[in-house]
Amino acid sequence: MILADEFQPGTFVQALHFIAGNGGFLAGKALEQLELSGASLGVALALSLPLGVALGHLHRGSAFAIGASIVGRALPSLVLIGVFLTVLGIGFLNNMVALAVLGIGPILTNAYVAIDEVDRDLVEAARAMGMSDRQVLTRIELPLGAPLLLTGVRIAAVTVVATATIAAVDGGGGLGDVIVNQASYRLPGVLGASLCVMALSIGVWLVLLALQRLTTPRGLRAATLPGSSDNGKERL
Amino acid sequence: MTSAGPVIPNFGGASSCVLRNGLFCTGWVRQHWSDTLAPALLQHLELTLVAVGIGFAIAFAGGLAAHRYRRAEQPLSVLSALLYTIPSLALFQLLVPFTGITLTTIEIALVSYTLVILFPTIVVGLRSAPPEVLEAARGMGLTPRQVLVRIELPLALPTIVGGLRIAVVSTISTATIAAFLMPEGLGHPIIFALSEPHPFKTEIYAAGALAIGLALVCDATLVAARRLLAPWARRSA
Amino acid sequence: MIRKHTRRAARAAFAVSLGVAILLGVLAGAAGAATPTVKVGSKNFPEEYVLGELYSQALKAKGFNVTYKQSIGSTEIIQVALTSGQINFYPEYTGVIVQDVFKSTLSPKTAAATYALAKKEEAAKGYTLLAPTPFFDTDAIAVSNATARKYGLHTIVDLKKVPDLTLGAMPEFQTRNTGLLGLEHVYGLHNIHFVALGSVSSYQALDSGKVLAADVFSTDPPLAAPSKYTVLTDPDNLFGFENVAPIVATSLVKALGPSFVDTVNAVSATLTQPAMLAMNKAVEVDQQSPAAVAAAFLKANKLG
Repeated sequence: MILADEFQPGTFVQALHFIAGNGGFLAGKALEQLELSGASLGVALALSLPLGVALGHLHRGSAFAIGASIVGRALPSLVLIGVFLTVLGIGFLNNMVALAVLGIGPILTNAYVAIDEVDRDLVEAARAMGMSDRQVLTRIELPLGAPLLLTGVRIAAVTVVATATIAAVDGGGGLGDVIVNQASYRLPGVLGASLCVMALSIGVWLVLLALQRLTTPRGLRAATLPGSSDNGKERL
Repeated sequence: MTSAGPVIPNFGGASSCVLRNGLFCTGWVRQHWSDTLAPALLQHLELTLVAVGIGFAIAFAGGLAAHRYRRAEQPLSVLSALLYTIPSLALFQLLVPFTGITLTTIEIALVSYTLVILFPTIVVGLRSAPPEVLEAARGMGLTPRQVLVRIELPLALPTIVGGLRIAVVSTISTATIAAFLMPEGLGHPIIFALSEPHPFKTEIYAAGALAIGLALVCDATLVAARRLLAPWARRSA
Repeated sequence: MIRKHTRRAARAAFAVSLGVAILLGVLAGAAGAATPTVKVGSKNFPEEYVLGELYSQALKAKGFNVTYKQSIGSTEIIQVALTSGQINFYPEYTGVIVQDVFKSTLSPKTAAATYALAKKEEAAKGYTLLAPTPFFDTDAIAVSNATARKYGLHTIVDLKKVPDLTLGAMPEFQTRNTGLLGLEHVYGLHNIHFVALGSVSSYQALDSGKVLAADVFSTDPPLAAPSKYTVLTDPDNLFGFENVAPIVATSLVKALGPSFVDTVNAVSATLTQPAMLAMNKAVEVDQQSPAAVAAAFLKANKLG
């Protein structure tokens, strides 16, 4: 019926034993995953952050910046990995490029909207005060847009880390290697690695959230409570 | 079978395009549309519709509840944010001890992901009615239920359809990962093609294009639906 | 217009979804009840897909109730599906039964002895091993022709000559007696750097230089002459004898009787080495679907 022939929630206890007994190995795998994710995120940031900020500052290209997320969401990660494998061969590069593509959407869109939607009156006032274009960007738009912008980075980071799990399909390493290998590690191993990758994703989310709160000017912190612009999900 | 061995028929050979793993062999696509690509596409569509259908039903019920009892919202939001970060492959595996390697497992995971998107959307949508309008309605003597049905829900429609767009497209994307668990959906031809000695490009590109195309078509359909159901709404992203 | 029906529509949608979900669950449960169904399964590689299709289609043609789950997983996973009753029939390799399922370190000296031992071991667990196929498909270690020339490699033990030996295989190779463990115990290869290949083929890994040696199957199309790859010989018979024989739950055999056994054995008898090689080529090189290839073969041999 709906339940498995072997209803075995007790496997979770075995999973915890697996984690306890293979801590070093799992940590190494987690590190591999973070390496791949870090490289991909770096590329995505380099490509989209300056572009998004520039477009938002100039108030141009909204269809492109927002469309990037819509298109990005429609690109399944498995398809990207497959396509880049046929173009670039198997290795670190094809996975990195595929993951970078996934990171572009949230960063670009949020950066654009964050800068674009800074209160125009403030910008006007700043210009009236004699600030140069660059000063307006660095002293007004970026600080005010920071919360939404950094939310986009955070969403991209977690998307990349979580998706890096399936890089195992072409030997990309990481915790996915254990998750797709039930034959060797058995269900407790697979569950253990799944729990670890879940913890990894949540950990990245929380760390970046904490960093974001720390770097947000105090006056703006009140504006970043859940339910306001912090909920970047609509921007996705 | 003769004493010389079994009859080995001609299985149809392959075009030169397939043999040299050309960029895109349209002949292969035409030949294998009905035995490989179309079944995968239909399975994929089915997975998506069931997941979004059930997810919407649950999110709608939950959204109405949260709209009434504000306290329910915070814990449900935190739960959704947490669920959002779990990689789909991990979630599939975490469900296996409970529901086995079955479509049920896949659907439970996909439904969870749609809930993450639809629940906040419905709540936000229901709240989008301007306070003055609500005041006026109550002033006119409408009961809370009438206010909900005649004012809040219609005004929530554009937002809800917007959430459905995101949910449908994300589900189509995530459903490709289901193929790691069972040979279902458009992810299966891709994983199959990737595992060959020379990853068969045409199959990867064809299945990939179908997945992306399906997502874009569903997105466009929902945009059209919104225009039809809520013509008063301003066009937004 | 919309407003009046919204609430009702929402309730209706919810009720329908819930109803459908419950109904599906009930139907799934009821499906097992009637005449004994042959629940066929296959492992996760193309040759097994073809075998699964061959047996399923032949049985269906003879009027049996058949369900077929393709690509359940590797040996370890499909064995769980078998013992838990989700399937009651799948084609397995005799050497794999002896060495991986029942964990003997070395397989018997002949194909017939391997089959007999496998049959005995399975019978003790309540499973019947039906007749074996003429063809066999063993694991093998392959290197590119260039690598073979460079280090003078002819047999597996020659791999000791390769410094920094990287060997690629499916992840489960690491823990198998017919895998890495066997290479260590039988051939004394201790310094192998193992690379798990996930879903990527060994030939891809060899071509891209990701590994110097890789685990392959002896019936793979890329090994057919003229091949870019050299298969290293296995004089100590680590990889054993690997004819295919269907494992079937004994209760099912008893319930369905001699016509079932005869149908299955008739299919197995046609699976000679040339036949299997041709079908593998059709699926893996010519990109035909396993179902179509199996159907064509059965039809040509009046079995489908």
